Amino acid sequence: MIETAPKMLEISNLSKNYGQNHVLKDVNLTVRQGEVVCIIGPSGSGKSTFLRCINLLEQPTAGKIYYREKNVLDHSLNVSAYRQKVGMVFQGYYLFAFKNVIDNITMAPISLLKKSRAEAEEEALTLLTKVGLANKKLVYPASLSGGQKQRVAIARALAMHPDLLLFDEPTSALDPELVGEVLKVMKNLADEGMTMVVVTHEMSFAREVADRVIFMEGGYIVEQGKPTEIFENPQNERTQKFLARYLK
Amino acid sequence: MNLKWGDALHTLGPSLIQGVGVVLEATIISFLLANLIGLLVAICRLSKLKISRGIFVTLVEIIRGTPLLVQLFYIYYVIPLLLDGLFESLGMSNPNIQFSALAAGIAGLSINYGAYISEVFRSAILTIDRGQKESGLALGFSARQVLRKIVIPQALRNSIPVLGNYLVMMIKDTSLLAVISVSELLLRTQTYASQTFETIESYTILAVVYLILSLPLSHIMKLIEKKFHISN
Repeated sequence: MIETAPKMLEISNLSKNYGQNHVLKDVNLTVRQGEVVCIIGPSGSGKSTFLRCINLLEQPTAGKIYYREKNVLDHSLNVSAYRQKVGMVFQGYYLFAFKNVIDNITMAPISLLKKSRAEAEEEALTLLTKVGLANKKLVYPASLSGGQKQRVAIARALAMHPDLLLFDEPTSALDPELVGEVLKVMKNLADEGMTMVVVTHEMSFAREVADRVIFMEGGYIVEQGKPTEIFENPQNERTQKFLARYLK
Repeated sequence: MNLKWGDALHTLGPSLIQGVGVVLEATIISFLLANLIGLLVAICRLSKLKISRGIFVTLVEIIRGTPLLVQLFYIYYVIPLLLDGLFESLGMSNPNIQFSALAAGIAGLSINYGAYISEVFRSAILTIDRGQKESGLALGFSARQVLRKIVIPQALRNSIPVLGNYLVMMIKDTSLLAVISVSELLLRTQTYASQTFETIESYTILAVVYLILSLPLSHIMKLIEKKFHISN
């Protein structure tokens, strides 16, 4: 049961200010092992900033982040080692343009996990097969479609054997007909028990795959609960308004 | 007009072939050093330390604000005198420091081109998409590793077309080393022409030799450029 699984991430009173601009206000979230949390909300609500604070691409202004009971904001923390355990998939894919698909995937395992090239490539091929792109291993990112790029980006993140994967609007930059292939890969990951925090506008994905849905607006978590609770019986007026626009 | 092409080719030719060796040596060594200097200066200029940025900005401005010709004279004639003075004041008697002309020339070319190339690298590094860095960080690379393994390789590739131009320019700029008595092509030609008065022949041959050196080079650079081009 998810409710009793060990806590992987425990975030409390997290705030982020850019000068006078308060982007995150007192955000609290616990993510347990194997849980899939989807964060929904209007643009500019702080969803992406929140995600970027989790792996310290943004430095939070205040608050606490604990990962497996270790204080992530402690100055003595090895940030790189922490990030190796917390993978991230970006809206813009950000594959390394000068490397082919398989080198994109093996680069970090070879230099950070000290794997041999042969071992890293074998593993990369397994991951590519999993995302349905084994035939593209020698191709450069420029000749892939957006959906293919994003699937390679997911394989690249998985190659580090992360405990937790963060997805920052992974399908928002895709042509509509390519969204499905990426969501399918993500759903398979969720089914395999990967712990995931997904910022998304794909309501049907959130509804179907998430263990918990969080609605954010104006830098606050306005409401959270099981998908059925949020989508069928939202309590907060703002959640109702937001969903009314999405779920016609 | 009675032109002695045969004489000129026969006597000046072999001398110029030796001169080509000097030009290639000076260009290859200086170009490699200039790239190294350029990269180091670019990285120091992008550092967060204000002092480091300030020092290197000033140095680059000094180099770019004075002619290469003056820099060559300065390195060859002035710096040894300054060093002599320094050592004398430290109690050494008559140190009489001197650089070989070629070494001074290579130093001048490397530093001068290094200053320009640092600007090329700096802007190339700055134009690498932020997402490339962030995805590297997110995988667990340190900021230093991201710079070395992700940003710089792409910045270098993007710089290749401009570097190719600088390489061709540098081959031609080795002619300036004649003024500090490096026996490269121009000095050899001048000497021959002034002895024989075969002025037309000598300088025409010289111009052709420079063309033979630089034209294939431009072509080779185009090929390299194609090979390393990153399409986005």
